[in-house]
Amino acid sequence: MVAEFAAIETRDLTKIYPGFWKSQQVQALTNLNLRVRQGEIFGLLGPNGSGKTTAIKLLLGLINATSGEALVMGQQAGDQDTRRRLGYLPEESYLYRFLNARQTMDFYARLFNMNRSQRRQAVDYYLDFVGLDPAVRGRRIGTYSKGQTRRVALAQALLNNPDLVIMDEPTSGLDPVGMLEIKNMILRLKAAGKTVLLSSHQLADVEDVCDRLVILYRGRVELEGALSDLLEVKDVFQLEARKVSAELQAKLVEMTNAGGAEDIQTGRPRVRLEDLFKRLVDAKRRGEPGAGSARR
Amino acid sequence: MNHHPGFDYIAISAYAVIGILVVAFVLLAFRDVGRLRTGIFRAWAIGRTTIAEAWNARIWAIVPIWFVICLIISLLVRPYSAASQVEIYLTILLRAQLVMLLVYLGILACVSLPRERERRTLITTGSKPISRLELLLGKVIGICAAGLAMLVLMTAITWGFMVVINMHIKHDAAVLYEHEQHSYNAMVRRIPPEPGVRYTARHGVLQAQNYYTGTLRIAGLINYQTNPPERALKGGSSETLYFEFPSLPAQVVSPPVFLLHFTVLRLNPGAKPNTSAQQTAAVLPPVRIHITAVLRDNPMVTAQQSLTLSPNGTAEWRPKHWTNFFSLYDPTTGRLFDPGPVLLKVTSPTLGAYLFFGAGTKAQPPACLAFNLDRSRAPAGVMIPKLNPVITGFKSNNKQEIVGPSYSHPGIPAEVASFEFHHLPDKRIPIGKHGNFTVHLFLSVDKQENEALPAIADITAFTLADPAHPFRMQVRFAEKHLTVLKLPKSLLDESALVINIQSNYPGHWIKLTQNSVQIVRPPSSFIVNLAKSEFIIFCEVVLLVVIGVTASARLGWPVAMLTTMVCYVLGNLFHFVYKLMILGGFGLYGPYIDSKMKGLWYYQIGSFITAVMVKMLYALVRLMPDFTRFDPLHDIIISRNLPWIVPVVDAGWTLACALPILALGYLLLRKQELA
Repeated sequence: MVAEFAAIETRDLTKIYPGFWKSQQVQALTNLNLRVRQGEIFGLLGPNGSGKTTAIKLLLGLINATSGEALVMGQQAGDQDTRRRLGYLPEESYLYRFLNARQTMDFYARLFNMNRSQRRQAVDYYLDFVGLDPAVRGRRIGTYSKGQTRRVALAQALLNNPDLVIMDEPTSGLDPVGMLEIKNMILRLKAAGKTVLLSSHQLADVEDVCDRLVILYRGRVELEGALSDLLEVKDVFQLEARKVSAELQAKLVEMTNAGGAEDIQTGRPRVRLEDLFKRLVDAKRRGEPGAGSARR
Repeated sequence: MNHHPGFDYIAISAYAVIGILVVAFVLLAFRDVGRLRTGIFRAWAIGRTTIAEAWNARIWAIVPIWFVICLIISLLVRPYSAASQVEIYLTILLRAQLVMLLVYLGILACVSLPRERERRTLITTGSKPISRLELLLGKVIGICAAGLAMLVLMTAITWGFMVVINMHIKHDAAVLYEHEQHSYNAMVRRIPPEPGVRYTARHGVLQAQNYYTGTLRIAGLINYQTNPPERALKGGSSETLYFEFPSLPAQVVSPPVFLLHFTVLRLNPGAKPNTSAQQTAAVLPPVRIHITAVLRDNPMVTAQQSLTLSPNGTAEWRPKHWTNFFSLYDPTTGRLFDPGPVLLKVTSPTLGAYLFFGAGTKAQPPACLAFNLDRSRAPAGVMIPKLNPVITGFKSNNKQEIVGPSYSHPGIPAEVASFEFHHLPDKRIPIGKHGNFTVHLFLSVDKQENEALPAIADITAFTLADPAHPFRMQVRFAEKHLTVLKLPKSLLDESALVINIQSNYPGHWIKLTQNSVQIVRPPSSFIVNLAKSEFIIFCEVVLLVVIGVTASARLGWPVAMLTTMVCYVLGNLFHFVYKLMILGGFGLYGPYIDSKMKGLWYYQIGSFITAVMVKMLYALVRLMPDFTRFDPLHDIIISRNLPWIVPVVDAGWTLACALPILALGYLLLRKQELA
């Protein structure tokens, strides 16, 4: 059997930020062992200060590991050739404020040695892809809203059509519609065979898109596994149906009781506020009357 | 450890450090260097962004600020003449350019990388396939390109400004010449107009003249009646007479004895006419000479002494510290080896004394002999120096005077300034319509007597192949003005051309420099000459930018700025610190130290500590690039063409200094965390 090729693999990866005194040292990451398969969406969860961003910076070679090893696409983390196949969306949009969106994208495209026509195509394509308003593309990034800046940052991360996309808090600063678009985009990336490493403390984001995840706490792995395995409540059965009359409901409860089931709960399902909001905004955009009630 | 005094171990150590740096760079950066074939485009991408950053930081503002400052200074300074007007304006414009660019680009170089770290844009850039070397190069390229763009703008403005000034100068010179000519024709003025004024009116002052400058061989007495001509060392001048002995030192136990013999001619400025030489010698103090022996191949090994000549012009010197000349030890053979030829330099501080010396021929026996030598080197124990000892003493800006004939000593001829020009047929000297070539004279006169008489120089030109048929003429010259001579092309033969200048009237002292006589060659374009000077400014700026970017690789911008400034200052103190180190310890204070103090223990300790500190400073300076070598104003302000070799060598020097500094920058940045 051929071993499955891992997009990311870390072995006992540890990072200690040094201080002047030993007491000032910070152990940001302790013996992290990760294995991200190709083509999956992998979630890196944890509260603030749990080491998510540190782990990503180590994978990108932006900082040096204190000990342990990190392999990205089979090469040592930080390898220049490997970075050609990576896209990175930082947690804040660290872009040059004095450049406009096109100049920014052109700059990063040059770092991938794209020629003029390739650059022009890629810049327009990815700015369209992230939905940046063409009217603002010639303005300096310093004048952009947070959401617009985030879109440019996302576009630069996808510019080289990467095999592995690392996203650090991808939805931060975006409105709910933008968040949904990003999540859809992540799913499209997966459908295109890309690997996505997603770091977030927005649990809903992770839940919606991730195949597997790891939860970090104070630099250590606390929980790891497939989302479906982790979230499924094994000993509870759920039934959903439309047009169920009151009599039928009563019969069902009675039958369940008779069958020996415990902790029976009945009620109407709720849609998530996020879905309701999206449906409303979509309807408004299409010029339809408001979709006021919750529907599935 | 006992080092030879001529062995600059500090310099060698500094070069070793630089060598280690380069080797470490080659070993650690070979992959990144190999990728530069495509990486240079990525570096240029970084450079473009840096240019945009510089533009956003309003780099363009330095051009108007520079020009306004120059205009204000130009309005405050009153030039003496048209020529000095150009000199002053060009000095102001170019110096201000240098200062503005050094300050602005120095700051930008120190700030650019740390600011990217602070704003965290380096995180996004660092996640792309770019190496640290490309990042470093990109920063340097970007800042230098921004500086170059500003320099090009400033060059264009400088040129435009100088063209306007030149038009004014030409107009003023034309008006002046017309006025003087009119006055002369109307018999109101006795002196015809200056040819230099006409030249300025026609050609202006924006020129890059090409000259062939000869060597000022002598500014004193020379007797052409003998063969070879007998020459004299002039007392009280900076002239130096060089005797060269091939491989003189032989053994430590028997230092050589030098015997010198001169024919002394004395002047007594206050004496009555027809005073005899004996009477003059009786009232004047004896003639002093300074002798310095130096190894030709290692000028740091010296021995020196001051002596008094006997009444018959002889002196004997027994060097005290001759052991230094023998201390070159060959570890392979275990013996002392031959340190090479020895130069004996003789100068005289006695004013009014002329020391005639023999050339070493049958007709003129040598003026210096070395005795008491190893028989294996000199069979008779005596060695004579090379024939025709060289006499020099005129540095480029060192003024020298030649005295006219004397009323009090009618037998003594006027002093001669003798300029020699070699290899003239190869110099493409332009010949005029009448078969002449042009020589420019820059002379000035100090009239001690006969103040009403015009300043006239007697010119004698001949070739060494045919000294018996000289070309003679008298020229009238004006203070601070160029004098034009036309000489026949027959003087341009394979042998050397000699042009002698003498003062015509008693009491007229002609002042001249090494460059006072110049053979004119076709002029070059002023704009090209300006571009060459600007290029030298650019080289200096590039070197500072490289230092700034390297310093900011690890340091925050305030410390990087301080470091860069210290490097620049130390790089400008190279020669000063070197001289301090040569003097060593309390020797810095020179003659102010009492010789009795030197034996005291606390003096010795203090002197030792001072010497160590100065050596540490010298070691530091040795690691810095020598900024004193950049001199963009050297030729352009005197309307001379700057030879191409100067900017080419400066560019090479800049590259040679920048590479180890960049290597250091790479090594510092290589493992630096970008986030």
